[in-house]
Amino acid sequence: MNLIVCIKRVPETADADVSIDKSGKDIDKSGLAFDLNEWDSYAIEEAIRLKEKMGGTVTVLSIGGEDSNESLRKCLAMGADEAMRLTDPAFDGSDGLARAKILAEAIRKIPYDLILTGTQAEDDGYGQVGAALAELLGIPHATLITRLEVQEKKVKVHRELEGGLEEVCEMDLPAVLTIQTGINEPRYVSIMGIRKVAKKEIKTLNASDLSLKAEEVGFAGSDIRLEKVYLPPTGEGAEILEGKPEEIAVKVFEILKDKGGLA
Amino acid sequence: MENIEMNFAEKFELYGCFQCGKCTGGCPVSLKSKLNIRRLMMEGILGRISEKISEREELWDCTTCKTCTLRCPRGLKPMDLIIGMRGNLVEEGHIPKTIIDALESVYKQGNPWGKQRNKRTEWLKTLSEEVSIKDYSKGDRAEYLYFVGCTPSFDPRIQEVAKALVSVMKKAEVDFGILGNEEQCCGNEIRRMGEAGLFEELVDGNMQCFESHQIERIIAMCPHGFNALKNEYPQGKFEVSHTTQVLAKSLEEGKLSLRKEIKKVVTYHDPCFLGKQNQVFDEPRMLLSAIPGLTFKELDRSRERSLCCEGGGGRMWVESSSESGQRLAEIRIQDAVELGAEIIATSCPFCVLTLEDAVKTSGNEEKIIVKDVMELLADSME
Repeated sequence: MNLIVCIKRVPETADADVSIDKSGKDIDKSGLAFDLNEWDSYAIEEAIRLKEKMGGTVTVLSIGGEDSNESLRKCLAMGADEAMRLTDPAFDGSDGLARAKILAEAIRKIPYDLILTGTQAEDDGYGQVGAALAELLGIPHATLITRLEVQEKKVKVHRELEGGLEEVCEMDLPAVLTIQTGINEPRYVSIMGIRKVAKKEIKTLNASDLSLKAEEVGFAGSDIRLEKVYLPPTGEGAEILEGKPEEIAVKVFEILKDKGGLA
Repeated sequence: MENIEMNFAEKFELYGCFQCGKCTGGCPVSLKSKLNIRRLMMEGILGRISEKISEREELWDCTTCKTCTLRCPRGLKPMDLIIGMRGNLVEEGHIPKTIIDALESVYKQGNPWGKQRNKRTEWLKTLSEEVSIKDYSKGDRAEYLYFVGCTPSFDPRIQEVAKALVSVMKKAEVDFGILGNEEQCCGNEIRRMGEAGLFEELVDGNMQCFESHQIERIIAMCPHGFNALKNEYPQGKFEVSHTTQVLAKSLEEGKLSLRKEIKKVVTYHDPCFLGKQNQVFDEPRMLLSAIPGLTFKELDRSRERSLCCEGGGGRMWVESSSESGQRLAEIRIQDAVELGAEIIATSCPFCVLTLEDAVKTSGNEEKIIVKDVMELLADSME
């Protein structure tokens, strides 16, 4: 069973003060910590579990600069066999579809039975790459996967739908699955584990290696053009409580009592 | 597999064990947990230690209080065996999610609390404006580096202790500076959770930082940091003192003017990493006894025999696997209440947090409060 996992290195913004950079089209990423996209960590874990169960190889791909090696190495330390980084100045500004084109060209050169991606990325949250990739490769896909079982030349998957519904489908391999968080518990990657793969080669491929023309990728090859990033305007009616936690708790209690929230 | 077994037995000198049972006899969690260190030593000798190692969830119950190692008549290190076994689990990657979160947070943000690295000094903003704190990262120099620690930097309750400490040191004319946002985790708990590689990285990073600022003397408020810096960092590069040691010296020199009476019955809980592991017993007691009006009462289990609060060895980030049995901190609070203490003082951030939780969960909020020694000193100096 040959598995391919597409991953992305993203900034962590959950607990950070986020501001908009000078271009007005992105956030200021200085001072932010970066890590493997959370959804992708479940995808790589799932791939490694399949490999451990059924044998085969796991190849991990990422589009990005040298910084992305950190996330690729994390995947190698988890148990991936090979890592490839797709990098070219022409790739800058690629939207979901253009990124899928880049990945598709790299994947055509590798034998595979199953491709896993995260359902979406923590940074832009588009959730487009997996489905677009399957379309470009001409193979079936399913999104939001919370459980999967590989049987011979087929895969049975559980999809998480709106309203707490679950859909179970069976599809032919090869296929693309976009993995939802919670499908497994990604293993911890120790520092010693990362040191062990520090010297492992990470292959790089650029636009010409992938026979991609500049106009097919990057800004030129993208349908989505980002105009502006801005903070939501401050609304009315919100009250920010300040003080020590116990003081805030008392204030919240008083407000709830006054407004009849504690019947 | 055979190699792993041989490594365990040889690395931790298990063949020296004659199964006297003093380790388990002194273990504070053995009463409530499946964890039985004497049995682990035996299994190590018999070469069975890595059997089902990933199913031994009780390995995470150990608080690394070190009582087993300190009591061993053969001078063996049973606690290190548990840390070594945790190390195997860490390398396999199959460890509790809450431990993973703490370790990854240290790797990415330099603290185990999931907070942003660049918010480490936010607590200083609530100090009154006339208090200025020297900051090595901004070019200041001082006699002592005050290594603040992660919990005092980020936990709202312990920030209060850090603020009290800063005001006491200022009044006692201790010349100190902090590392600002250059400070990162000391690694004490990281090593005890079995992440030896991450501990090495933290030591390297901190040593470079200390050297770049030519640090020669360090004050630590957290006994866990105190222990790591004093015993597990390269030796001979700097001197490390606990805050109670520095202030006990100030007291002797007459630089601590404790004027305001605190008319309360106070007892003292010895933190494992300060007391039994580093023999700092007298200084906190000296400081408490110097507060006018204060009546000091000793707990039965005190000094070397102090009962662990269950906050060490990574236990701040993982709950006990035992579903039965009282929390040790609750037993501690019960003992203090029965002693007639109105305040239980201690000098460790983790102990303050676990004891304060225990006051609430045991329904003793009307009877007793938890204070760090520094907070009582600050109150008496006002």
